[in-house]
Amino acid sequence: MSETLIENGLTEKELPSPPGQPAWTRSLRQEAFELFRALPIPSQETEEWRYTDLSGLDLDAFAPFASGRVSDNLDGVAEEVQEAVGELGERAGLLVQHNSETATVHLSPEDADRGVIFVGLDRALAEHADLLEKRLHRLVPAERTKFLALHAAFRTGGVFVYVPAGVRVELPLQSLTYVDAEGLAVFPHTLIVAEQGAEVTFIERFVSRPLERALSDAVTEVFVGPGARVRYVSLQDWGEGMTHLSVQRAVLDRDAELRSLAVAFGGSLSRTEVESVLSASGGHSEMLGVYFTDGSQHFDHRSLQDHVAPNCGSEVLYKGALKGRSRAVYSGWVHVRKDAQKTNAFQTNRNIVLSDEAKADSIPNLEIEANDVRCGHAASVGPVDEDVRFYMQSRGIPADEAERLIVTGFFQEVLDRVPLPEVRESLEQAIEDELERSD
Amino acid sequence: MAVPKPDLKELEQGYRFGWKDPDHSVFTPKRGLSEAVVEEISSMKSEPEWMRKFRLKALKHFRGRPMPWWGADLSDIDFENIYYFIRSTEKQAENWEDLPQDIKATWDKLGIPEAEKKFLGGVSAQYESEVVYHKIKEELDSIGVIFTDMDSGLREHPEIVKEYFGTIIPPNDNKFAALNSAVWSGGSFVYVPEGVNVDIPLQAYFRINAENMGQFERTLIIAEPGSYVHYVEGCSAPIYTTDSLHSAVVEIIAKPGSRVRYTTIQNWSTNVYNLVTKRAAAYEDAVVEWIDGNIGSKVTMKYPSIYLLGKGARGEVLSVAYAGKGMHTDAGGKAIHVAPYTTSIINSKSVSKDGGRTGYRGLIRVEPDAHHAKSNVRCDALILDEESRSDTYPYIEVEEDTASLGHEATVSKVGEDQLFYLMSRGLSEADAMAMIVNGFIEPITRELPMEYAVELNRLIELNMEGAVG
Repeated sequence: MSETLIENGLTEKELPSPPGQPAWTRSLRQEAFELFRALPIPSQETEEWRYTDLSGLDLDAFAPFASGRVSDNLDGVAEEVQEAVGELGERAGLLVQHNSETATVHLSPEDADRGVIFVGLDRALAEHADLLEKRLHRLVPAERTKFLALHAAFRTGGVFVYVPAGVRVELPLQSLTYVDAEGLAVFPHTLIVAEQGAEVTFIERFVSRPLERALSDAVTEVFVGPGARVRYVSLQDWGEGMTHLSVQRAVLDRDAELRSLAVAFGGSLSRTEVESVLSASGGHSEMLGVYFTDGSQHFDHRSLQDHVAPNCGSEVLYKGALKGRSRAVYSGWVHVRKDAQKTNAFQTNRNIVLSDEAKADSIPNLEIEANDVRCGHAASVGPVDEDVRFYMQSRGIPADEAERLIVTGFFQEVLDRVPLPEVRESLEQAIEDELERSD
Repeated sequence: MAVPKPDLKELEQGYRFGWKDPDHSVFTPKRGLSEAVVEEISSMKSEPEWMRKFRLKALKHFRGRPMPWWGADLSDIDFENIYYFIRSTEKQAENWEDLPQDIKATWDKLGIPEAEKKFLGGVSAQYESEVVYHKIKEELDSIGVIFTDMDSGLREHPEIVKEYFGTIIPPNDNKFAALNSAVWSGGSFVYVPEGVNVDIPLQAYFRINAENMGQFERTLIIAEPGSYVHYVEGCSAPIYTTDSLHSAVVEIIAKPGSRVRYTTIQNWSTNVYNLVTKRAAAYEDAVVEWIDGNIGSKVTMKYPSIYLLGKGARGEVLSVAYAGKGMHTDAGGKAIHVAPYTTSIINSKSVSKDGGRTGYRGLIRVEPDAHHAKSNVRCDALILDEESRSDTYPYIEVEEDTASLGHEATVSKVGEDQLFYLMSRGLSEADAMAMIVNGFIEPITRELPMEYAVELNRLIELNMEGAVG
């Protein structure tokens, strides 16, 4: 299935108005649209956007909506979408978004009976407005940037995950967003709420066919309640031509635990901001990242560990490999605020550069306002270790096989921390594919 | 000319001392910056035409550039309320009694001799080191080394100065380099001929020209191939100055196979904005080392940098920063790898206490042709109380696949078990703290000339009095 470029641009009359939405969502969209018009495209003159140039992005060339094929079950959705879903492994629920629409959604009846909600965000707004009013766009507000204003104005589709207090969702919930409409701007929005003591794993994937031009303007908001445990995995595997701008922000309550993994392989330009706010004592946030760039891809990853409350821990580990003429930027911030005594915060970024035209930047920042803390960071950029390669060759392993082993071993440190076999296997496969791809 | 008696409290708050206009007719300093002021400075010094033009061009750049939006808070600097040129004698306090009590007391505790104290305080134009300086100067002359103040350098060696001046740090480099380029005065000019090894450190305060403590000093060091020189600037005793803004520029040219070491111990009084641009060019197999201690000032922004322009060049930055009450020390270092097989090391230690804020800000950049470049950055911070703060902003930019870079940093407080152990061995808490902090900065102090290391250690001990972990 291949659609042609849609005529309708990012104009006021295109603001979506799905059925059954509460009135506040309309005014929210309207205000966001005004902001979108007023705010400038972020400039490289600012620290936040110093490494990513979006001045050439022609927003007039995008349409805010394209329909998808909607069905009651997975068998009814478009074939390419089914193909993209692939092997899923055991799961508690699956949501598929095709272009701007929720194509199908399924949640195991047991979990539904226990009060778990897993639906598209538009439907959630019609059915569970009370759970959303104080949360939607609250962690990642529209006024932050032009793109977030754009997102808040035109958001459609999306995912809402709600786990009531004390409920443990044993198997992962999964979602796939698939885009095949040329010139489409999609606005994936994932909102996860884990109430006190709840446990849930959510895995989302973004896939598209190669396109001339498309925009993914994505937001994730995660509310981890007291003692709750959330594992959140996002796999960005967009096709060529996609510009992906994503902000994932979580707030952790007392003794909450968040383990996140952000993976980026696809798209032409990919910028991901992953943020954890440790707002109450005892929280712990693990933020892992894996990226592999090739061709002329440009990746810009930012992480923020914002320690507001005492006795919290956080750990960032981002590892990336670079090929071709690609560029990867990692910049991270550990912010330990005045009251956040007894903080343990660590931040590591390691880059392996496989081509002489690739470019890696690493900026791990610390801002520490409390004294009784243990904070550290480490960053490195370098080639495959020649000594290791030499050693392996001397043991009869051919040079490219040695490189393959070294690179997969390099990523293993991150993969070992993700106890989800289907995620690990697909990542291992994706890394192998990247290594085999010639530039 | 009389200086109003400084009030300690105002000093701490960074109050800028004015002084009465001098009544003699030679030169009347004016506040504020204008073409006329710059022209006047140039003509007072009877400078060549190119320098006058250089200054005026720099003034344009200064006006055209915005204040840095990053780093420390500089919003209190009032450029219109600063004297841009004052004869050296005019800025000295008239007598010892006029100096702030805390500064005199610190000197006593450091055990600095009376005569030296007066010199450092700027109250004495006569100082024994004049004799020392002349003796050293004779020796240096005999091996062809030039070591003089920058103004005399320009007068006596115009061809060398013209060739190198402003080539490493052009006037449009940053706002404060532009300001310095427009109104510079004083600083050192050092020229070391090919193959000459200067075996004594050249210390700025050997020079009796009192301009060496100037506001807008300008230093230029040229090391010809195969030469070696160690230049030492400042000293560990607190330097009292009535100037609220100190904005120096230091340029080093290290030609193939030469080695230049530049040591600074900065301890300005806590009313001073210390905004300094220091940069070195290191050619083939040259070695440049910046040893940079920042102990005083209200605000310091200083990131000594090394451009590694020749194959096999090596650069090293060792940085110690201390920030006490009301202080913000934003220090660090930069290494730009332009040529292959270049190496750099940055090692930074910072200590913050009593609400002080220290920062490490650094850049390691590997340009596309700098294959096999290697760099390692290590920065550690100690935060001694809950009022204080530490920031680390390291930038790593790599455009070469064979380059290998590493950065590591830690931030922590002094371990209670370490303190407990030392106190159980009979040390007071302050002594124990001082011992731990001195141990923490030891990798830097061991690179200092002995007398500086001793003074720095004593200074840390003084600053640790009353510290609680």
